[in-house]
Amino acid sequence: MSAEPLSVLIVDDEQPARDRLRRLIEELPGWAVAADCATGADALPLVGKLRPAVALLDIRMPGMTGIELARHLGTLEQPPAIVFTTAYDEYALEAFESQAVGYLLKPVRRERLEEALKHASRLSAPQLRELAAPEQPLAARQHVAARVRDELKLIPIKEIRYFRADQKYVTVRHAHGEDLIDESLRQLEDEFARDFVRIHRSLLVAVAHVASLERTADGGYELKLRGDGETLPVSRRQIADLRKRLAGR
Amino acid sequence: MSKPGAAERAAEIDSGPAVIPVAPAVAPAHDEPQARAIPNRDARSAALEDFFIPDLCSNRRVFTVVLTAELIAVTLSLARPSAFFLTELARISLFLQWLGLTSAALLCLARPWLARVSVPHASLGAFALLLLNTAVVSESALFFGGNFEGIGLPETLFPREHWPFLLRNEGICVIATAVLLRYFYITHEWQRHVRAEARSRIEALQARIRPHFLFNSLNTIAALTRSDAQRAEEAVEDLADLFRATLRDSHSPLRLKEEFELTRVYQRIEELRLGERLKVRWDVADLPMRAFVPGLTIQPLLENAIYHGIEPLDRGGTVTVSGRVVAGNIEIAVTNPVAAARNGQSRVGNRIALDNIRQRLELAYDRAATLTIEQPAGEYRVTIRFPYTE
Repeated sequence: MSAEPLSVLIVDDEQPARDRLRRLIEELPGWAVAADCATGADALPLVGKLRPAVALLDIRMPGMTGIELARHLGTLEQPPAIVFTTAYDEYALEAFESQAVGYLLKPVRRERLEEALKHASRLSAPQLRELAAPEQPLAARQHVAARVRDELKLIPIKEIRYFRADQKYVTVRHAHGEDLIDESLRQLEDEFARDFVRIHRSLLVAVAHVASLERTADGGYELKLRGDGETLPVSRRQIADLRKRLAGR
Repeated sequence: MSKPGAAERAAEIDSGPAVIPVAPAVAPAHDEPQARAIPNRDARSAALEDFFIPDLCSNRRVFTVVLTAELIAVTLSLARPSAFFLTELARISLFLQWLGLTSAALLCLARPWLARVSVPHASLGAFALLLLNTAVVSESALFFGGNFEGIGLPETLFPREHWPFLLRNEGICVIATAVLLRYFYITHEWQRHVRAEARSRIEALQARIRPHFLFNSLNTIAALTRSDAQRAEEAVEDLADLFRATLRDSHSPLRLKEEFELTRVYQRIEELRLGERLKVRWDVADLPMRAFVPGLTIQPLLENAIYHGIEPLDRGGTVTVSGRVVAGNIEIAVTNPVAAARNGQSRVGNRIALDNIRQRLELAYDRAATLTIEQPAGEYRVTIRFPYTE
């Protein structure tokens, strides 16, 4: 532990819970509270600005769960170490145990808190993947995070029209433009299989944003999107699958 | 030896076991209140209630004893082709009725004493009593049977040979008593099992504090102890009230007023935790506060509305509790706003909680109570309806 106290960010939707954690941390030598906030959306810019050493994340929060927030934070160049907090969440705890992810049960004991902060670590990509596995009840993301300069920008899944795989990154085309994210199209397809459909080797399209499927002059197919009417190429192999999805919506 | 009570013992436990030894089953009316009786007296009467030999003194059971004895008499008469049927029947009936009724009376009188000792000792006691009774009745039969000769009845109403008659009767008595006691014991055990199962089913349905709520409340109290000791104190008192309510016997109903008070106690604890995010609008002025409601039916509805409706909302929202009386029924609706994206897990949990409330209403009111779910745009409404009783 250095002379400079290590900073902690507290994210919890309940005021009394935040107050208590803040007080406990302030009483621990070598630790300081960088900030506290009530939602994941508030936490992201704070992490970029304050660069806390550890983030204490409540699991059950409105809007974005602690687990989703951890995944977004994981895409930062220097993510904080993560410790989850929960009053009761038997399903999530199993995953934490199996992945050796730090967590605290509320009401938190001071010794446990100190222990958890000391041993807090950044979550590795495999750990994050496991926490986000489809069988985990709190896993489904409602946003993807794009790194714009040094900040994370959240893009609501609902606003996304399609994902396009480029050489190294995936481009997210959404209602307000385009952003790059560092994820694989394959994993995105698995995670969002309910709302998105693969139409091409490099294209994953939101079913809800499709306007129509049309034939092109050369006998192929293309997909027309709602809104600006952008058209996308459809590969022959995906036609049958795509038709089924469009018919079923 | 008759098989007193065997038949109605079987009838009492509804469908009865498939094998009814010796005594044919004659099903009198149900004995529900007795089967359901919850002993709330001293230990001795509780032991008596739970004794495996049934009380044979009740009118209905005496009737069963008579009927069973007669059926056995018919069976035995039919089994002796050599004798004249009606004479045989009269003879055996007379003997068996005496034997059956005196045996039943003896067991009935001895029951309070037998109930105090262990099952093997009680069984031995019953054996001794019935053997003795058989001997006395047999001796009487020989004595009186012998004296009928003078008044012109068939000269051998009862056999002349003393010892063979007595020993044969005692032998039958041993076998019949063994079968009978075994039968009493097994049906008693089976009935106890059935009762225990019913009880555990009711207990499983009993309202419980959700662990999520419990630990969050404790966390809130931990936070308040230093920042606002008075509120922490109140929260502990509220939590204690709520816990006591969940530990109550789930059979006893509450007045609507008490149930609403409990629900408000719960609401106060949640308000401490959720702050501005939780608002509850009460629109129940039209309800008769003296009406009965099964305990903890409305509180879990509010709990559900908060857990699945308010907590997932960034800015929270308003839960409405409204009630009215419609055609002799009390109708209470709890409405909450719904977050746009809800994950599947919470919906499953929600259904389990609501099923629980529905089953408890059904247990309390049979089919007269209903629980309905509506989902108008952006809202979720659960309405319970049950008969108005005071």
